[in-house]
Amino acid sequence: MTAATGTATPRRASPESPAPPTAATLVRLADERATGALHGPVGALYLADGAVVHAESPAAPDVGRRLTAGGRLSPETWEEAVSRGGPGYRAGGFLVEHGRLSRGELELCHLSALFDAAYFVLCPLETDRRPPERFLREARHWLGPVRPVPVAAVQREVCRRRELLERAWPCPAVDAAPVVPVPDAARRWGSGAAPACGRRAVLEAADGRRTPVQIARVLGRSAFATLLDVRRLAAQGLIRTPAGPGASGTSPENPDPAVPAKAGAAARQGAGAPEVSLLYRIRDALEAL
Amino acid sequence: MSGIDACLSEAMAIPGARGASLVDWTSGLTLGAAGDGPDRDHETAAAETSELARLAFENSAFTRATEDAGPVEDLIVTARGSYHLIRFVETSFDSSVFLYLWLDRAEANLAMARFRLQGLTAGLVLP
Repeated sequence: MTAATGTATPRRASPESPAPPTAATLVRLADERATGALHGPVGALYLADGAVVHAESPAAPDVGRRLTAGGRLSPETWEEAVSRGGPGYRAGGFLVEHGRLSRGELELCHLSALFDAAYFVLCPLETDRRPPERFLREARHWLGPVRPVPVAAVQREVCRRRELLERAWPCPAVDAAPVVPVPDAARRWGSGAAPACGRRAVLEAADGRRTPVQIARVLGRSAFATLLDVRRLAAQGLIRTPAGPGASGTSPENPDPAVPAKAGAAARQGAGAPEVSLLYRIRDALEAL
Repeated sequence: MSGIDACLSEAMAIPGARGASLVDWTSGLTLGAAGDGPDRDHETAAAETSELARLAFENSAFTRATEDAGPVEDLIVTARGSYHLIRFVETSFDSSVFLYLWLDRAEANLAMARFRLQGLTAGLVLP
């Protein structure tokens, strides 16, 4: 994610793709009841007996981040489970057996992390990257199986999530760019939404430099849910919509970008899709009145 | 109680229960289901109840009315032949999950079902 799209044209608009080779590979691996990891630069999907048991992506907070961000587990407790349960591929089971988590908590947290990461593995945010196609047989993840999900269910969910993003606000440029609230966002937000509302949390964590993925990491929250909130905030005119190349200066691997907000804002005034960017600026201006 | 499947099978033991599912309302994803779904389909019901759940959960009109403010706990929809209960699962990590119960109105006791559902969602996340 070193550069945003050149234009504001939706780049992940067609719900039929994620890269057919990967989709076909996954179906074949499910039919073979394969065990192993389909992996690449954008992350990995772990299969056991043909079902998806784990997914990881640099874009999506993992189970440990989710459990420790809000203080459900201390970092020490999590580390203990990884170091003592991990070697036997059962760090998750370790947490439950030692009374650190209920079975239900582990299942809910893990399923959320699995579907979240799977989305970014099969639909990479980076336009120049493809979903993984290499399969490492017999690879297993140290967390251990929690609640296996059929491949077809994961693929259906990925398509649905992409459609949800498009329906919320068809502008993928906001997915990778720093989230910059409009000057009077806090005032316009007012008291219209409950404190538990995700969009409020996202808006409060938006410091003008963090991208949606970085906000998700700070909050220990689903990256997809954060992306959806960012699209909704853009649709409400509460955050700026990047218009040109260079709007995104950061990658999900780099949690603390050195790109100052002003430089990002300047870059967003750059070239690329002038008609669309003009329309966005007019809309922003109208909504700021 | 332990885990999603145990939670769902206990939900199905509530008098009048026709179907139960655990749903992530950010996207309308069914995490687990038991019994029937309305229209014989859990997935469609999950997507539609998720819309309702999100609107209620994110709207402060329901939570700022009293001093003791807190998130929305449950939603009850009554129809001529059925009750639909949506109970939010409160976790100490970030999540967006509810337990959905579809009840036959002639056989169900709404107050009792709501009380049982409250216990089930609390038990699901108790160590």
